[in-house]
Amino acid sequence: MAIYDEDTNRLTIKLVYYGPAMSGKTTNLMRLHDMLNPDLKGEMMMMETSNDRTLFFDLLPLGFSTPSGLLVKFKVYTVPGQVIHDSTRKAVLSRSDGVVFVADSQLSQSINNGQSFENLDANAGRVGLDLDTLPLVIQYNKRDLDNIISETDVLERWQQAPWPVTFSNALDGTGIIETLQSLLAQVFDALDPEFQFSALHGLNQESFIQQSCGCAVIH
Amino acid sequence: MPIEPALAFDHEFTLAELLRGINTDKLLQALSDSLQTPVQILDAKSSPLFGANSLPESNQQSINKVALIGELEPIGYIQGEASVAALKSAVQLIQMILQSNSRYLMASDIHIQTQRDDFEELQRRHDALELSKTKYKKLAESLDLRVKQQVKTIESAQIKLYENEKLASVGRLAAGVAHEINNPIGFIRSNLSSAQSYLKSLSKLDEAFKANASVSYLQQVWQEEGLAFMQEDLKDILNESIDGVDRVASIVKDLKSFSRINDAAEENADLNVIIRQMCRVSSPQLKNKLDVILDLGEIPKTFCHPAELGQVFLSLFLNAADAIQTQGKVRFKTYLREAQVCIEIRDTGCGIPAQNLAHIFDPFFTTKEVGQGVGLGLTVCLNAIKAHGGSLELKSKEGTGTLVTILLPIRHKNQ
Repeated sequence: MAIYDEDTNRLTIKLVYYGPAMSGKTTNLMRLHDMLNPDLKGEMMMMETSNDRTLFFDLLPLGFSTPSGLLVKFKVYTVPGQVIHDSTRKAVLSRSDGVVFVADSQLSQSINNGQSFENLDANAGRVGLDLDTLPLVIQYNKRDLDNIISETDVLERWQQAPWPVTFSNALDGTGIIETLQSLLAQVFDALDPEFQFSALHGLNQESFIQQSCGCAVIH
Repeated sequence: MPIEPALAFDHEFTLAELLRGINTDKLLQALSDSLQTPVQILDAKSSPLFGANSLPESNQQSINKVALIGELEPIGYIQGEASVAALKSAVQLIQMILQSNSRYLMASDIHIQTQRDDFEELQRRHDALELSKTKYKKLAESLDLRVKQQVKTIESAQIKLYENEKLASVGRLAAGVAHEINNPIGFIRSNLSSAQSYLKSLSKLDEAFKANASVSYLQQVWQEEGLAFMQEDLKDILNESIDGVDRVASIVKDLKSFSRINDAAEENADLNVIIRQMCRVSSPQLKNKLDVILDLGEIPKTFCHPAELGQVFLSLFLNAADAIQTQGKVRFKTYLREAQVCIEIRDTGCGIPAQNLAHIFDPFFTTKEVGQGVGLGLTVCLNAIKAHGGSLELKSKEGTGTLVTILLPIRHKNQ
């Protein structure tokens, strides 16, 4: 849940990139760090082991200030994808305001994708989040590879689900910003009633996304 | 183990937190040395944090202040009598230290948090296990109690069955004896009826006498009533009835001395007499198929429970009789062997299959049909013989017959 600090007039919003091991969560964050250009962009903090597997999490801080003086701060995290790090995944997921589920498009990974999504559902339940109301985007990554599930099959598979599905290639940044913007749109809608972005800070959904990313909204 | 309620790993760190574990005196000294002027570190609200007294009071105008950025926003400042550019490069350096420390703090915080969660989860599972352990322990205890109660019930039922078995052979005997007694009673009753009708004929003759009837008339009545035959017959039926009554008396006498089931008295008894009595009361019902041979040798009286031994002999005798389907022999043999009385009961019956021999003394082992016996007969016999300090052995060959050998020590008591 977003935390508003009255002292500093700062709203901190937590976003989490979830998904199976090696699906490209950290790469998503690295590309966002390179490609986004908001008012405020912090150093990316990476905690990985020597073989590039995320140990605890990665963190990318982003932010912008409204003319009203509110600092909107995003903390974008990744979880460790490896099955053994479940407690860490749970801790990172806790109190999040939105989730990107990064699936691996390779046909060989469909079981891992399914298990990881079930794990997301279970951990969300444990930390008191409801997938029915939590802003969530399904991202099918690694679209550049061969032997991947077709877009038609992906869309058909998720047809009954309420969440938007995006396609990406995190290595070259394709679809990365679209994914985040799709999540931010939901986050705006979810938080606006409580924090009155439009009424008090002159932000509508589009300008909220624009300011967060430092670029135009891709339609 | 109390675990401090740590803040979430992703809370906002203050400058003081991020400088935790770093020697700020040395840091300030290094900064002052490189900038060649004292510097001061302020928190997010510009209150002095470290190096409070390091700046001279004068020259307020020449003091510059540069923000230290945390993740995105200022979390503190450094100030000193140096150029902004010089201070900025110092800030760069400090920020690198802060970033590195923040990595460490977040990593250790999330580590503690996950450890605590894992511990709590383990604790929860442990508690659940403890709970089910207690539950099963209780269950096991009550199960144990119920098993003990059940065993008690079964034991008392077994004792009852065992007692019943003692009576069973005697019960079979009683049925046969009743038949033996009924037979003489039947013909004695019929003889008495005849005697009653003879009394009527005598009354007719008596009436004629009282009426002073002529000799010829009296002769006529004598003839008509067949008093000559009646005299003969009366003699016969009275003799027959006396015989019958004697038979009943003798059966009752044998039965009385034999079937003292619960008579606890011990006495010096002749085992041959007990065997003879037993055969007398039980043989008549079996005489059609059994040829009972008594080969009873010289044996001394022995101090024993005559009633109990009688039952043992009866039980073994009935077993032998049961083993014989149509026609066969049962031989009782008694003799002395090494200061012990040896009693052999040998039959020419069907014998016992080899696979059953090991079980014949087991309580409730039976090959008879349900209702024909509960399987305690030999158990009762063995116990009675053991109580007399003796032994009981059984040899059998299927299709040939069975030999039971009882050895009893000779005991004598002066009464």
